[in-house]
Amino acid sequence: MAVTKLFGAAIKRREDPRLITGRGNFTDHIRLPGTLVMAIKRSPHAHARIVRIDTSKARAMRGVVAVYTGQDLVDKLAPVPCAWLIPDSDLKLTPYRAVAVDKVRYVGDAVAVVVAEDRYVAQDAVEAIDVEYEVLPAVVDQEKAMEPGAPQLYDEIPNNLAFHWKLHVGDFDAVWNEAEVRLSRRLINHRLIPTAMEPRGALAAYNPGSGELTIWCTSQNPHVHRLLLSAVTGLPETRIRVIATDVGGGFGSKIPMYAGEMIAAAISRDLGRPIKWIETRQENYVATIHGRDHIQYVDIAARRDGTITGVRVRAYANMGAYLSTAAPGVPTWLFGLMLQGAYAIPVIHCDVYGVLTNTTPTDAYRGAGRPEATYLLERMIDILARELGMDPAEIRRKNFIPKDRFPYTTPTGLQYDSGDYEATLNRALELVDYANLRRQQAELRQQGRYIGIGFSTYVEVCGLAPSQAAGAMGFQGGLWESATVRVHPTGKVTVFTGSNPHGQGEETTFAQLVADELGVPFEDVEIIHGDTEMVPFGMGTYGSRSTAVGGAALVAACRKVKEKAQRIAAHLLEVSPEDLAFENGRFFVKGAPDRGMTFQEVALQAYLAWKLPRDIEPGLEATHFWDPVNNTFPFGCHICVVEVDPETGKVDFLKYVAVDDVGNVINPMIVDGQVHGGIAQGLAQAVYEYAAYDANGQLLSASLMDYAIPKASMLPSFTVDRTVTPTPVNPMGVKGAGETGTIASTPAVVNAVIDALAPFGIEHIDMPLTPERIWRAVRERSS
Amino acid sequence: MKISGSYTIRAGRDAVFARLTDPQAIASCLPGVEDLNQVAPDQYEMAMTVAIGPVKGTFTGKVQLADINPPESYRMAIEGQGKPGFARGNGIVQLRAIDDQTTEIVYEGDVELGGPFAGVAQRMLGGVAKRMIEQFFSCIERQMGASA
Repeated sequence: MAVTKLFGAAIKRREDPRLITGRGNFTDHIRLPGTLVMAIKRSPHAHARIVRIDTSKARAMRGVVAVYTGQDLVDKLAPVPCAWLIPDSDLKLTPYRAVAVDKVRYVGDAVAVVVAEDRYVAQDAVEAIDVEYEVLPAVVDQEKAMEPGAPQLYDEIPNNLAFHWKLHVGDFDAVWNEAEVRLSRRLINHRLIPTAMEPRGALAAYNPGSGELTIWCTSQNPHVHRLLLSAVTGLPETRIRVIATDVGGGFGSKIPMYAGEMIAAAISRDLGRPIKWIETRQENYVATIHGRDHIQYVDIAARRDGTITGVRVRAYANMGAYLSTAAPGVPTWLFGLMLQGAYAIPVIHCDVYGVLTNTTPTDAYRGAGRPEATYLLERMIDILARELGMDPAEIRRKNFIPKDRFPYTTPTGLQYDSGDYEATLNRALELVDYANLRRQQAELRQQGRYIGIGFSTYVEVCGLAPSQAAGAMGFQGGLWESATVRVHPTGKVTVFTGSNPHGQGEETTFAQLVADELGVPFEDVEIIHGDTEMVPFGMGTYGSRSTAVGGAALVAACRKVKEKAQRIAAHLLEVSPEDLAFENGRFFVKGAPDRGMTFQEVALQAYLAWKLPRDIEPGLEATHFWDPVNNTFPFGCHICVVEVDPETGKVDFLKYVAVDDVGNVINPMIVDGQVHGGIAQGLAQAVYEYAAYDANGQLLSASLMDYAIPKASMLPSFTVDRTVTPTPVNPMGVKGAGETGTIASTPAVVNAVIDALAPFGIEHIDMPLTPERIWRAVRERSS
Repeated sequence: MKISGSYTIRAGRDAVFARLTDPQAIASCLPGVEDLNQVAPDQYEMAMTVAIGPVKGTFTGKVQLADINPPESYRMAIEGQGKPGFARGNGIVQLRAIDDQTTEIVYEGDVELGGPFAGVAQRMLGGVAKRMIEQFFSCIERQMGASA
């Protein structure tokens, strides 16, 4: 019975058959008898005082069970929490009521809640609630919000400034004064909407008899939600069970604690009935977090040979109307720490202003802070290359942290674990056939055709760690992960992981890890996640951490199990444990391979416990809480090739090459899928997606008709390749792979378009590079 | 959103002006109007069904005529709230006599939408508003033709 090694095998995702045949089990699929449906009345105004709420018509409707206003819930729910209390930044927390009490601060802010027998009645009743508002002037733009005389969201937060975060390393003024080349630019990293395929929702069932609350909800981190729900409802966490069954995508948007889930919990407790709330797509657009929205002022100091000597950034981060759960950490730590990118830049000077505006709150969205840093650097290095007449590939090579300097301590205090940046650049240049491409570009320009080649040589930080660092950064949580490996008497294995995959395929990759570690068939391994009553406390899935941290916890737990099994086998075989070897799922005596026991035989003996040594407990399971010593730092080079039609502004994608290094790869098919999806999302930021507000704070792109999620036909084919530089941070040598594509692709695409437009003297256009924006830029330069 | 345009009616300016500011004519010609009641001089309450793209709903609100300067110009302010959100409009209508039997109506205004309406309908608003205005004027023209 030979068991082949599964680490590295492109096994199809075992979760897919159920998901693509409609047999998934999402929150909205859960049915409980006696369930009432909840719907939320939301503000159509961006900023207004609530003068009066008349719920009488709604209450009188047949099928309506209850109507709640903000005032009705004040005693039942604490404010929506913010859990990233960044230090030394004069952070001002926003009093964020799940249902607004006296004032609404963005279009979509909850003003009342209806509970009804069915969804249709609930929706009609929401519309029957009459709210009288005193409309106040609104502010949408973060720079305008800081100006004197701007509308104030909170009396107690002057100039709408929630925080001012600083990271100053080295003497920037000195390098600036000495610099041979100085570049200053303003870049906009616009607002995006995560748009998970499954909207958010919850089914909250409070049992008045036992005093227990069970809540099924769309969560990336069920234990974190349990803890926060405990904090806002006052129920001890021992009485709260959070279950996230299948979750249809998150991209960060299902990390925060939101009003909707909190309200469902409080009302279920109030009425003693199960309450289901599933947001509509329109609600998803206004009331689930948005991402990015940075205005950046960047100064780059460099020498004439292309060496960058310092970077200074002043960034204005639009936080929206309230501080969402992890929001303050995103534009600060996750952004500022990565400002040197893949380059040996010695001086970093960063100031971030977190500004409140009358818009939907922003928080972590795929990449979270790193795309903002990477875009800024990759854009500026291209501008610098053009200024110096250097090739964009060569200026990057010039500034790379060389491979013999790893582990590399960055000026911002991170320790880059391992890397060979030049290898990914070289491989990508080869795949894209760079020299030929440049020749072709020059020839085509003669014919009035404009192709452009765009680079992005990124490094990103994944599997955020260690927990001590979390404490220093003000993150109100740990950064470890848990796993329990339970071997049953037949040798079948159930894994309970604190990670909570919602599209990442860990039911497959984790089973691969276990099958290898324990030598059991892949089919014999079940992965359980998402239920706080079943799995040990865990941190969940975000920040490309599940494999690097959750997988490491799992491998460590497997090794504890294997060690115990080996001791049992040794006892039964009457040898010492050191005399045993383990191969293909079988323990055997070194030098006498006939004398042995399979893992399954040992498992049975562990449960029978007829002949166990006195110092070994019956059963065969282990739990491990893995707190990594460091982050992992995947990196790579993406090259995008486009043709731009200057007459219409249309961008055609000719080639897209991605060479990533995510360390060792457990399942190349799944990593390819992550990279493809990531590129699609990042490319979409560059040319399609845009969360647009009008000056009054109305979200103009609040539907799938208006917010341009790309279709497959709007994307090029991706050529994906990898180099492998394992990390020493975990036993598998794996880095994160979930966000690399999103982080790398946006600047690669923009750099390509700008390169194509070089003959027109165009040096920058802010995203998204829609045909209109390109056409206008070309017209402006041509006239 | 700014909206402007012009429409030419084959009728004299005085008659056109009187018709445009006549609540009965407004009620019968403005598309989707279900109810129009005068609540004060030059002020009316109105219920109106509007469909823009996928969003359809009934709005209740006020119509206010101001700066009435017959037969040359008047201002009109509309404010409505309904299930899909709110709408506000404010504009000036000017009448120019091209000859005794021809009047050009020039309109210019600002329309603002809020709530779900704004999120999905804004990009179609210009086209829909223009079409509604044209329908209104052509209905007025038809009525005047019939009554002349």
